[in-house]
Amino acid sequence: MQKSKRVTRRQFLKSSVGTAAAFTIVPRRVLGGPGNTPPSETFGGALIGCGGRGNGTFNGLGPNVEKLAICDVKFVKHADNKKVYTDFRRVLERKDIDVVAIATHPGWHALISIAAMEAGKDVLCEKPMTRFIAEGRAVADAEKRYNRIFQIGTYGRFGRSRNQGDILTHKIMKSGLLKDCKGVHIKRGGLKVREWSGMVNVKPQPIPDTLDWDMYCGPAPLRPYHPHRFGGTHRGYWDYEGGGLADMGQHHFDPVQWTFAKDDTSPVEIESFAPPAHPEACGMWGWVELKYADGLTFVMDSTEWPENQKPSYTRKESRGVSLSDLSEEDQKKIKEMPDPEPLVGFGDAIRTRKQAGGHAAAAHRCATILHLANISIRMGRKIQYDPVKEEIVGDEEANRLVNQPMRAPWHL
Amino acid sequence: MSESPSALVGLVNRMPDPDRRGMYCTDIDKEKIEGAIRKILRGGRENIIGVIDMLVEPGKGDDVKAHYALHCMALHVCKLKNDRPRRRFSRTLASQIGGDRPKEVQKYLIRQLQVAGGKEVVEALGRVLVDKELCEPAAQALAAIGEGAAEQLREALPIVSGKCRLTILQNLGVVRDTKSVGALKKAVGDEDEAFRIAAVWALANIGDVSSATMLLRAADHADGWERIQATKACLLLAEKLRSAGKKSEAVRIYKHLRETRTKPAERYVSDAAKTGLAIDD
Repeated sequence: MQKSKRVTRRQFLKSSVGTAAAFTIVPRRVLGGPGNTPPSETFGGALIGCGGRGNGTFNGLGPNVEKLAICDVKFVKHADNKKVYTDFRRVLERKDIDVVAIATHPGWHALISIAAMEAGKDVLCEKPMTRFIAEGRAVADAEKRYNRIFQIGTYGRFGRSRNQGDILTHKIMKSGLLKDCKGVHIKRGGLKVREWSGMVNVKPQPIPDTLDWDMYCGPAPLRPYHPHRFGGTHRGYWDYEGGGLADMGQHHFDPVQWTFAKDDTSPVEIESFAPPAHPEACGMWGWVELKYADGLTFVMDSTEWPENQKPSYTRKESRGVSLSDLSEEDQKKIKEMPDPEPLVGFGDAIRTRKQAGGHAAAAHRCATILHLANISIRMGRKIQYDPVKEEIVGDEEANRLVNQPMRAPWHL
Repeated sequence: MSESPSALVGLVNRMPDPDRRGMYCTDIDKEKIEGAIRKILRGGRENIIGVIDMLVEPGKGDDVKAHYALHCMALHVCKLKNDRPRRRFSRTLASQIGGDRPKEVQKYLIRQLQVAGGKEVVEALGRVLVDKELCEPAAQALAAIGEGAAEQLREALPIVSGKCRLTILQNLGVVRDTKSVGALKKAVGDEDEAFRIAAVWALANIGDVSSATMLLRAADHADGWERIQATKACLLLAEKLRSAGKKSEAVRIYKHLRETRTKPAERYVSDAAKTGLAIDD
């Protein structure tokens, strides 16, 4: 495998001690100085998944990352295994790559994130984080095991963490002083149900000779090829994602999860209104209600349920959380609480090795909200969830969607 | 009582038509769907087979409504407090795999068993593990069902090859079959890298203490992707052993990795091992 001739952060750290005394002429950017980034802050990067969100996700790595490799299953015709790849494993073997941006379909997000961290890379992963709940826990475990940086590709929580109103709510909820929370957050619309549904009548078509279809399917069942399963419309199939709910949900609920200080837990009761789900294609649903152990309730109202067959969500009304929900004594305790630490952006995190604001454990809890909603929709019933064991309580069949078998050689 | 063929067709036809984009987004009548499914299931085995008879290979006809109806039936039997309808449904589906139906239809039946099947269908699933086209979905259904799966996978391992062998090696790890440790250890020495990687992960996930030296050796001598994966298996095994109270073996693995992964490119592994050791302190 040809290696880049640039001096990466790792190579610099490796060689700088041994060669410090040797006289040599080095490029200005290796030394740093005004207008030049020193190698200790220059990173080798790779983009895995070069579809619609590819470049945007890669740019999220920050300005000091050099794109050394791109990888996509559609590069069969022009992959050279030097700069252009179809197999992410060959990319992760490279020692000159420090950070990886992942923008494949979400059925690959967890496996590539985990593999990247196992290879010592830091990860910026496009949302939604995962395809099912157990994947998220495995990513968080890998982040912890290898002490890598992981950031999910949604950033709304960073703004929330600077907003005084959100900070106050965060402190109230974090304090644990509110025992019977009456808060209700309703997300009406914006979950693109129709836009990101799947087709139920797809007919197999020839696989394009530019595409490694087996690798595209990856851990999911190897289905006959159809173009609607590929590209942006992959969002409508359970094999790769979870409809508009999963696709947009992480944007909507990740900031809210931070505000309500739920980064380390999950809802315990989930109820939905939906027709029986199709086995492969995501489709229409009405609403989902998710209640936490302390009473806080999140609601998703699709607002797309056909009007002649109602209902839109009417069971509860939006209600915030405020100091007045607490006794005077507890209000005083909240006012004395320090503000939360500012969230660390990805660029700072990879330099300082501090946990990123959208780290894997938090992103996993947000993805869990979406997966629980979809499990209730798909199973057609109310479910109870144990946020510690991360299992659905007393429902063996529903648990089969919490941890789904994968096609070999892929596994968590 | 089962429906006449035309009545059954009528019930299946109560499933929604795809909208103009081919989706289930409009004209979805939840009550109508659920009512028809209840009636179909009331007809028992004959009705279930009647719906299965309507399934065709993808692209060989229109089975959109039957395809959806069968899945709705799988979901419905899982909702009932009485387990007998679920068992009857899954046994009926299991009786239709391994025969002459098109392979894509059989795969679909197996995927519905992954939804609704229980221990009553593991033998039927085990029988198709030797079928190159059905092995993958059958192994996944077995892994999802859990109870009774290990025996089926274990018995199939010696008689399968290629992708089926890889699938079964991996799933023996998924179901954590301690009785397969010997066979998995043999696979660690296989000529095929994919088999070796699957085997070391399976042994680690099982948490087999006797595999520690073998896994460390495999990781030490491998390159590239295999080295990354074998090293991960070592760390996973150490965690499993620590959780099982076998601290000294876990410490041995961590110390080995701490002392051998000292080059800059692998220092993160050494650091991970140090973190693991610190937890034990």
